[in-house]
Amino acid sequence: MANQNMRILIVDDEKTIRRFLKTTLISHNYNVSEATDAKEALEYSVSSHPDAIILDLGLPDMDGIEVTRQIRKRAKTPIIILSVRENEADKIAALDAGADDYLTKPFNAGEMLARLRAVMRRLLPQNERSIFKVGKLSIDISNHSVEVKTRQVHLTPTEYDLLKVLVLNAGKIMTHSQILKEIWNKDEDFEEASHLLRVTISNLRNKIESNPDRPTYILTEPGVGYRLSSEI
Amino acid sequence: MSHSRFSKNKIYPYLASVGLVFIMTLLGEIVKGRLEPTNIVMFYLLAVVIAAIRWGQGTAIVTSILSVIAFDFFLVPPYYTFNVHGMEYLFTFAAFFAVGVIISTLASKARQQAIKAQEKEAQVTMLYRLIKDLSISDSLEHALYTIRINVAQIFDCHTAIFLPAGSGIELSSFDSGFPMEEHEKTIAGWVFKNEKEAGWSTDILPAAKAHYLPLKTSQGVFGVLGVFFKKDKEGLDSRENSLLNALASQAAAAVQRIKLFELSRQMELVRETEKLQVALLNSISHDLRTPLVSIMGALSSLLQDSSLLDAEMRKELLKTAYEDSDSLNRLVGNLLDMTRVEAGTLKINAKPCDLRDVVGTSLQALKDKLEKRNVRINISQNMPEVPMDFTLMMRVFVNLVDNAVKYSNQDMPIEITAEPSESEVKIEVKDKGFGIPEEDITHIFDKFYRAVKPRQVTGTGLGLSICKGIVEAHGGRIFAENNSDKGATLTVILPLGAKKA
Repeated sequence: MANQNMRILIVDDEKTIRRFLKTTLISHNYNVSEATDAKEALEYSVSSHPDAIILDLGLPDMDGIEVTRQIRKRAKTPIIILSVRENEADKIAALDAGADDYLTKPFNAGEMLARLRAVMRRLLPQNERSIFKVGKLSIDISNHSVEVKTRQVHLTPTEYDLLKVLVLNAGKIMTHSQILKEIWNKDEDFEEASHLLRVTISNLRNKIESNPDRPTYILTEPGVGYRLSSEI
Repeated sequence: MSHSRFSKNKIYPYLASVGLVFIMTLLGEIVKGRLEPTNIVMFYLLAVVIAAIRWGQGTAIVTSILSVIAFDFFLVPPYYTFNVHGMEYLFTFAAFFAVGVIISTLASKARQQAIKAQEKEAQVTMLYRLIKDLSISDSLEHALYTIRINVAQIFDCHTAIFLPAGSGIELSSFDSGFPMEEHEKTIAGWVFKNEKEAGWSTDILPAAKAHYLPLKTSQGVFGVLGVFFKKDKEGLDSRENSLLNALASQAAAAVQRIKLFELSRQMELVRETEKLQVALLNSISHDLRTPLVSIMGALSSLLQDSSLLDAEMRKELLKTAYEDSDSLNRLVGNLLDMTRVEAGTLKINAKPCDLRDVVGTSLQALKDKLEKRNVRINISQNMPEVPMDFTLMMRVFVNLVDNAVKYSNQDMPIEITAEPSESEVKIEVKDKGFGIPEEDITHIFDKFYRAVKPRQVTGTGLGLSICKGIVEAHGGRIFAENNSDKGATLTVILPLGAKKA
């Protein structure tokens, strides 16, 4: 019942996709509104302040990336993009324009609900939470401590910072440039920083994953970034 | 070309005939008195024959006249006067003169025939050389060049070839000495339209700078040959004209041959493409429909007979529908990839990548299928970062592992190993399945090719050809081998540090 009163705006011109999303969301106790084009979506997002927006990139009247940009100008409403195929450039453009996450069509209901929960979690007051748990991984932010299967894991400061960024955004995609900015606070010398990021990810996996060759906590989003799995 | 020789040596034959008569007279002087003068006449006949064969009828007649005079003056008594004793000598003079004329006529005819034969031979040689040169040209461009160069060498001239373009004709091949005026092009256009020679040295539009000939075969006119002679040339003689025409018709035949060849090559390509499209359609419609059959079947059953199904059965049907939707999705993805590989729009965005991450993420994408499979990963600890397109190489590994799953039994392990060398990295995906029939091993990367077709195995046979396209676009290579014990190994070799170099 936690989702009660949460209003989700679905923006897609395909009726069958709206129906599938609507049915799934309602069955999980969300309130749902629908828009079929960018104009309706923008009007609704201004007049009714939905709690989250699921937005198709391929709308008939306007590019979804532009819609994201316009919504972002006025509100921080979480936005999940729906796009066809694995087109990283579009995904990155949408994320840069302010979208919080994306789903590649076709996707299943479980994925969609997980993404939605992850982006909504961002709305919760952060200071109330200090211990995060995912599967057998637990991280205590106030104590700077990380445990796997209740066994203490020693991380370097960079590894810890990286894990913390991922944990605070658990379930949500973090792009390469977002991470670089958060941790190294720079985006110049991108090539070298990217290398450092890959090495740190690899080291972190060696320490927290039970099989670093097939990671289950820190997942790679090819060409886009990384995501800490929020529900294992 | 023989023109110049004629004009330069006009006086020479007559000087030579004087010389011949002089020599014969000297010989006559030696035998004078020992032989009858009527016998000495034979020397002079020899001179006439030589002159006739060597220089033609005119010279022969001049030689005859000179011979009669010299004979009379030097060798017929009384010597060193033109007086003659007896009718006998007058008859000898007349007979000699008549024989001289007849011989010279015959000899010069023989000579002319010889010259003609020689010219014919020269023409045939030139034509033969052109035909030989043309027979090895396989492109229109090269053929046009060959024609021009041959004609230019034979006639010492500048050449150009016009080919049809749009509604008119266009200069297609030429050398820089050829006149480029708009007027010249108009004449070439006229020649193309009327299929007749025109321009310089003809009756039609003789003011033109160049001579234009249609390149004509039984099929029609293919183009126009332009010939521009050096300034001092006055015109074409009939021999030159006929050679030029012969060259033009050979050229036309060659152009026609090459055009037909190119057309047939295109047709072949179209046929191949059509064959491929039919194969694609057959394969796709089958492979698209198969999962659709089970999806529709399962869902209609759930819609209509829901009350007859227990929870277990319902779940089973739903699982079937979901799994087949998944394979349908992958199939569509492969078709899209194939289209991109085929269209050449595959853009490789190569960046240094952690190979272990690429492999791990590929396995993550297949996690449902690999749930019960034993996958062993052995990536060398000193593996450097490999420049590659993460997403595209992921598709390669997904396809390779997916294949290993399809073509081996569930309880058999799949092994992925990667080992760097100095300049390359070798990645192997090894299964312990059915292996690949030896005769198929080189074909499995072809489109729509599937080696073994076990009943449960679905797919368009596109996966491996997509892998090949992607790997090759990375500057790498991919090949398959059967293992010595069981199953097959697919090997991908990618260059290291292509970016650094």
